[in-house]
Amino acid sequence: MYEMDGEEVFVIDGHVHMWDAREENIIHEGGEQFLQCFYDYHTGFTPEEEQWDIDTYRHYGADKMTEDLFGNAAADMAVFQPTYLDDFYDEGFNTTEQNAELAEEYPERFVLNGSFDPRDGEEGLRYLEHLKEEYDIPGVKLYTAEWRDDSKGWRLDSDDAFEFLEKCSELGIENINAHKGPTIRPLNRDAFDVEDIDDAASSFPELNFIVNHVGLPRLDDFCWIAAQEPNVYGGLAVASAMSTHRERKFGEIMGELLFWLGEDRILFGSDYALWNPDWLVDQVMNAELTDEQKDEYGVELDVDVMKKIMGENVAELYDIDIEEKKRQFRDDDISERFDLADHYGGDAGAAAD
Amino acid sequence: MSGSSADPTSDAGDGRRSEPADPTGGPQGTAAVRERLDRVEDPELARSIVELDYIDAIDIDGDRVEVRFTLPTAWCSPAFAWMMATDARDEVEALDWVREARIELCDHMHGEEITTGVNARDTFGETFPDADGGVAEVRAAIADKARVSTQRDAIDALLEAGVDPEQIVALERSDVDVAGDEAHVDLGGLSVVVDAAPIADYLDRVETSGHVTSGDDTVFLTPEADPIPADRLDVVQKRSRLASVNMGGQGAVCDALHRARHGPDGPDGSGASYVDRSTSDQSAYDGDVDEFTSTWTLSSDD
Repeated sequence: MYEMDGEEVFVIDGHVHMWDAREENIIHEGGEQFLQCFYDYHTGFTPEEEQWDIDTYRHYGADKMTEDLFGNAAADMAVFQPTYLDDFYDEGFNTTEQNAELAEEYPERFVLNGSFDPRDGEEGLRYLEHLKEEYDIPGVKLYTAEWRDDSKGWRLDSDDAFEFLEKCSELGIENINAHKGPTIRPLNRDAFDVEDIDDAASSFPELNFIVNHVGLPRLDDFCWIAAQEPNVYGGLAVASAMSTHRERKFGEIMGELLFWLGEDRILFGSDYALWNPDWLVDQVMNAELTDEQKDEYGVELDVDVMKKIMGENVAELYDIDIEEKKRQFRDDDISERFDLADHYGGDAGAAAD
Repeated sequence: MSGSSADPTSDAGDGRRSEPADPTGGPQGTAAVRERLDRVEDPELARSIVELDYIDAIDIDGDRVEVRFTLPTAWCSPAFAWMMATDARDEVEALDWVREARIELCDHMHGEEITTGVNARDTFGETFPDADGGVAEVRAAIADKARVSTQRDAIDALLEAGVDPEQIVALERSDVDVAGDEAHVDLGGLSVVVDAAPIADYLDRVETSGHVTSGDDTVFLTPEADPIPADRLDVVQKRSRLASVNMGGQGAVCDALHRARHGPDGPDGSGASYVDRSTSDQSAYDGDVDEFTSTWTLSSDD
């Protein structure tokens, strides 16, 4: 937990991965380019002293991930968002099954999302049912821009996708996390399209649509859609990292999001291991709007707003009872391992170090 | 387009081009090429590829010019990369002493295809037969974003000059005349004078996007390109602000990736840059975070 103005801020990192980009897992040139591109994102928005070497970045493993997330209590919980990329990586980049290795070790600390691809047809529907049965997934992470064979991606407002969304609704998989941001092989106009969220969100009001990376580089289209669709949320992965070196830009984006979506529909995410909550949480919590931005947008990143963005909004989506979690974390395995019992001890809740 | 004197695309560069360039590849020739390349924009950011430091090298051999450039990531949209490559080729070939410009896109997932296609004068469709959606559509969408994002400053200039929202939304192209540093706005007999820069910038964009082509076209539009109800002007202004923030946000991402790939000193690591820093000293990132955070604001660029 983080302490701000004497208040505890319970942090749920809404977007993490446990990926494997070791050379032996890469089966297509795209897999290497993808990882290199991620690494540029990492170094571009990470303070120099926090940067990893490329080998660590390829594969960091469960142990390091646990320590990075929870070792200094930067995050209290985290949500896995799998990214399959089967065409690039032999065993997948980070599948539900791969992420489950860690999620199942500390189930009280992780939310494990699954995934679907409507191009898988009947087999895909069965796989979705399997994920629900096996892992009780509360949500899915979707990659609409992923190429497969002759397909250049798919749209959330297509008939095929609607069939899968209906299945999600039927199974109680409520949180639809769509990657709408930097795209994979964007050869055409879909490279800057978030419009399909609009139709899907209004057709499935019982589902929540979380747009990762707040649609960048289509923040404008995203905000306009979200302003009209109450079940559309903005995930801050990538945007939150702009608090490194680009604090003013980060402030502008936060100003726009608060203006168009309001404080209840913005969700913090580090996109670990792109960035590490170990330092990112602190940086985001310390980011401030300039006076000019406060005037322009009429908003502030005060403690109440930050509590929502950093944890309460995610908790709401995934039915997490924060007070119950705080009690549970006084003596769970993570708190024992990192000596955090006092941190969750109930008195004041000062940061662990 | 309206009267030629108000052509917002004319710039100071044209006035200095009378001097014949040195065709042997000396500094004058390089400067002339660079000046042409400065007109090529990264369509996603609406900023010059020279200013963004994408140019790796300019080699001149008599009447042949070779330009090498690198984008912030190997994953930059091939359609955008294609636009920048063809625009660069066409701009350089517009120099009367250049017979052929060859463009090379480096370190890109489709670098070879794009380099080969652009230099062979193929179309995007010939180079990428499986792309559904052509460059023209992408260009149109991008031009539209630039239109929306520049409208706010133009309208703000009028609001500050005391023009009413009702008058602003009713303006037609023939009511606005840009002359030198001033824009004259005719409000039915009464003429208001405002700073030309934001008005000219907007007119350039709205004419490029094709929304204003004749004197009786409405000047200011919603993002959907409809006339603006006066009582909705405030929301339209906020959407315009949002479009600028989006573009600037993407600019920050591209810039960070570019630096991550090449370091702050540019693609060749030598520190030598083709960017003239003299008028934009803010763009030299020296590691001082506080100083740099003020750089990527579109509004501070004029």
